[in-house]
Amino acid sequence: MSYTLRGRIESRLAPLLFTLALALVLAAAERAWWPLQLAAVMAGVGLTLDVLVYHPVLEYQPGWLALPLGTLELGLTMLAARALGVGAPLAPAVALFAAGWLAAQVLGHAVLPLARLTYAQDGGELGRAGIGVAAAVVAVLSGAAGTAYAMRPPVVHLAAGVHRGPLVIGERETLVGEPGAVVRGGIVVRASDVTIRDVAVVGGANGIEVDEAQNVLLDGVFVSGAQLDGIHVRRSSVEIRDCTIDSGENPWAQGIDISFSYDLPPSMVKGCTITGGREGIVTHSVQAMLVGNHVRRTQLRGISVTEMSMGMVEHNDVHDALGIGIYCGDRSMCEIEHNVVSGTRIDHASGDSSRLGFAIEAWWESEAALKDNVLVGNPQGAGSFSSSRIHWPR
Amino acid sequence: MRVAIVGGGLAGLCAYATLRHGGLEPDEIVVFGDRADPTEAWVARARAIRQQRMRSESDGHVAATSFPGLAVRTALRRRSPAPLALSVCNRYRPTVDEFLEHAARVRARSGWDESFVQRRIQHVRAVEDGFELDGRNRFAHVLLALGHPGLARPPELEGDPRAVHAYEPHEYADEVEVVGAGMAAATEWLNALAAGASVVSVRRREPERRPLNLPRPLFTRRGLAAFHRTDRDARVGLLRSYSAPSYPPGRGWDEPLRTPRFRVAAELNGAPQVICATGFRHGFAEDEVLRRLAEDHELETADRWLVLAPDSTVPALTDETRTLSLAGVQAQWAYPAADTLAGAKYAARGFLRRVQRCRTR
Repeated sequence: MSYTLRGRIESRLAPLLFTLALALVLAAAERAWWPLQLAAVMAGVGLTLDVLVYHPVLEYQPGWLALPLGTLELGLTMLAARALGVGAPLAPAVALFAAGWLAAQVLGHAVLPLARLTYAQDGGELGRAGIGVAAAVVAVLSGAAGTAYAMRPPVVHLAAGVHRGPLVIGERETLVGEPGAVVRGGIVVRASDVTIRDVAVVGGANGIEVDEAQNVLLDGVFVSGAQLDGIHVRRSSVEIRDCTIDSGENPWAQGIDISFSYDLPPSMVKGCTITGGREGIVTHSVQAMLVGNHVRRTQLRGISVTEMSMGMVEHNDVHDALGIGIYCGDRSMCEIEHNVVSGTRIDHASGDSSRLGFAIEAWWESEAALKDNVLVGNPQGAGSFSSSRIHWPR
Repeated sequence: MRVAIVGGGLAGLCAYATLRHGGLEPDEIVVFGDRADPTEAWVARARAIRQQRMRSESDGHVAATSFPGLAVRTALRRRSPAPLALSVCNRYRPTVDEFLEHAARVRARSGWDESFVQRRIQHVRAVEDGFELDGRNRFAHVLLALGHPGLARPPELEGDPRAVHAYEPHEYADEVEVVGAGMAAATEWLNALAAGASVVSVRRREPERRPLNLPRPLFTRRGLAAFHRTDRDARVGLLRSYSAPSYPPGRGWDEPLRTPRFRVAAELNGAPQVICATGFRHGFAEDEVLRRLAEDHELETADRWLVLAPDSTVPALTDETRTLSLAGVQAQWAYPAADTLAGAKYAARGFLRRVQRCRTR
């Protein structure tokens, strides 16, 4: 068909109504916004290509071209979705795109030519219906955007100064600390969809405790002086970014402990600096990504992935750990790549041969895949114990 | 009855099917024509040049809606996806027999025979609120689908006993000269070669090679919008350039010509048989009905074309109460590919819009 520009746009928007309807159903079923976000990205990519590429380049578009163009649009849509941070799982996202593409083919080749006598000769234009279609698409997308905006958690600003804790967060909210805001006595999170940003926490049994919550973001928090864990996560899914945790010389404190959420979406710890304490970052029965963290002066291990956890440990810097730098234990599976482990010390007092200053260690039927790690100034390099395996994939 | 179609050929059938699809009943339409079978004139020409396949593609049919096209219908009938795959690649060409079967079905289902009146209309005259046909019947809305005004022959071959027009029944001599370079000429080259003849293609210019008889954008608003914006002289120039001979590309056309029995010449050289693949006479003035109509009402013309509105109506004789539309080759001012099935439907759809808009239909 030789589309006019208006025809291209209207023929793009008509099947998009179907895609949006599908995305609405999917969003309701999944209780997630990604289907609608992905549909909006599909619309944006498609319309951009229509205006900037297809219309100027393709004076006539043969039917067979739908397949390569669809593949191109799929690739660009996925790239754009990733760049825009749309958290769409791959398989359902491709399925939604494919359903939309198929709807476009059926509509363009059968339904619209049947419904509108002049569809082909008008270059894909839909007449007055085209305006209605465009209005409907805009209405659905802006309605979804408005709903998402209205459903954002309330933002609570924590004023500068010391606030007496523990603060208990039992409803979805975003807690933002003004510069100089300090909570003394800890924060407890017991609700999903909570964000804590730029808050300093001093003391408390645990600095920040997250219990049975999902979609929790701890961004730029500073924790010091906790009696046990700096950040203590149980049966939850969290993202912890750019935190600073100082456990000092407390022999029982752990910087970050994420445990018992293997069946929940993966957690992530990224860009944190953790100093002192017993373990820097430890996971028990969790799927976790530990990326780009700096761990210093721990008394038991720098980073621990243990008790049947699956962990990606990448681009971390572990220095001056006593006994073990990075540990993969108790039937865990670990990918340990691009880390720097330096200055690990021998734990003479333990009398334990597995704590003789190993930079990386696998223990008790665990599997650790090592790649491109830099191990400097450690008494031992990588070691495996109790039926564990370490391998170096090429 | 308020709606008349003058012309009982393929363009008339397209218009009739479109009007029926638009909600008009058979008793609201009269079709005037020479022959009850709307394919008769066309099929005689197709048989004369031994045409096996259509030049048009899947949507080259006479039904009102473009879907389902002939590829879909054939795929369903044969229970094979092959026609669809070929159609997606623009390589599906329906056979003449498939097209004729389809046209017969449309004729039967549309109620064509209920509306058909076997009478050749000689004179169309505008009167108050409509048009009078041969001074007898009055209609508010008339579509003239008059067909080609006659076969064109080179003047130097008039009366020459060796000459036969490609669209007239003929066999092939041992040596044949084919005048012309369009689709009919190319078909005749292959026919004569297949019959064992030596063939001389007599032509003054090289034919263009394209799948359809015009570039594809000219079949839709994309190309038409620019065409409709042209001024009178520019449009005449364009229409003349579009009339250059062409036939489709492809090995099926080229391979048979790679033989010493085929050659090209600029002039006739005295072969025992001359086939004039020179198409039809051009211009509204060659058609008696249109010539009189233009004279009676002093209609605007440009060179050999009647000046039409973009929807194929005659502007001076069309308003909110009446419509005079042209379909077929004489509607090229509005649609350059007017002599195709797509062109016939373009005119028919414009006509239907006018009829539907008129409350006094």
